[in-house]
Amino acid sequence: MNADLVALALIVGAANWAFRYLPTRLDLSDAPQGGLFARFLAATGPAAIATLAVASLQPLVASAQLADLAPVAVGVLGVAVAYFASHSVALATLAGAVLYGVAYALV
Amino acid sequence: MSDPAPKSSFAQGLWSALPIALGYFPIAFSFGVAAVRAGLSAPEAVMLSLVIYAGASQFLALALITGGAPLAVSAFTLIAMNLRHVLYGPALMKAAGPGAGRRRAWAWAFGLTDEVFGAALGGLARGRVRFSEPFMFGIGLGAYAAWVLGTALGALAGGAALADWPVLSAALGFMLPALFLALLFSILRRAALPVIAVAALATVGATLWLGATAGILGGMVAGALAGVAGLGVRR
Repeated sequence: MNADLVALALIVGAANWAFRYLPTRLDLSDAPQGGLFARFLAATGPAAIATLAVASLQPLVASAQLADLAPVAVGVLGVAVAYFASHSVALATLAGAVLYGVAYALV
Repeated sequence: MSDPAPKSSFAQGLWSALPIALGYFPIAFSFGVAAVRAGLSAPEAVMLSLVIYAGASQFLALALITGGAPLAVSAFTLIAMNLRHVLYGPALMKAAGPGAGRRRAWAWAFGLTDEVFGAALGGLARGRVRFSEPFMFGIGLGAYAAWVLGTALGALAGGAALADWPVLSAALGFMLPALFLALLFSILRRAALPVIAVAALATVGATLWLGATAGILGGMVAGALAGVAGLGVRR
């Protein structure tokens, strides 16, 4: 196994672990309810999920011709309908991917 | 105030990991294929998934390695890409409430990827999950196993594994966008709309202007700052 590759993996892996673990140790008990920090943390979750949803869709939309957008539109609609019908994240994910695949095959 | 509902179990964590695993598997499979195509051996590809465990970073690592970038430059670039993860721990622990266990966070927090964070937070926000460390181990382990297994199978399948299955390949490629969208719907409330709108617009703008990594970091920070400015969520 390439030594440089192992070193790179260990350095980046250790940083990832630190980024994910160390902030969980922050003691937030003194943070006042409704304070700036509390508002920041409460907004972080929705902001992160919205960002990741847009970031994952953007390449599919940006590089597509108009006709190629149909599978994306069908997939997005499929996720929305399946989620609001079932309130299941798993079912909505599967439905969106299947409908995207069907639309892709038809187009 | 005490909540009479029992804490979520390890098995519930595994169940919550199912949509993540379905999304991870094809991407990890693609990573395994790409790694072998870039000249890595199957054990090297699996080692990257086991140790780094961050999808976009791993694909970028392949580009840096094959491009001959120095070790320090590659490490700095990949570390900078994952800086956003520092926001997840405090946000999750706040949503978990006072007294939430974190004694074994040194072990389960390694699994706190974008998707695991999103799914755990979505479950807590909907009241379907009551935070516990076994739950975090379950959701983290399910996702991690799918990522490593997908990489291994992709690396073993080799370079042209999905070439004869374009429709399947396309559908699998839509798994992660579908997962993030479903997670977004799961946390959708009127109070969160301004934060979501600001984050989405900032992501689009920063991605077009500065690139994908800046788009992700910019979107998260802009959305969180919108919350600080009073546009956002009250919980």
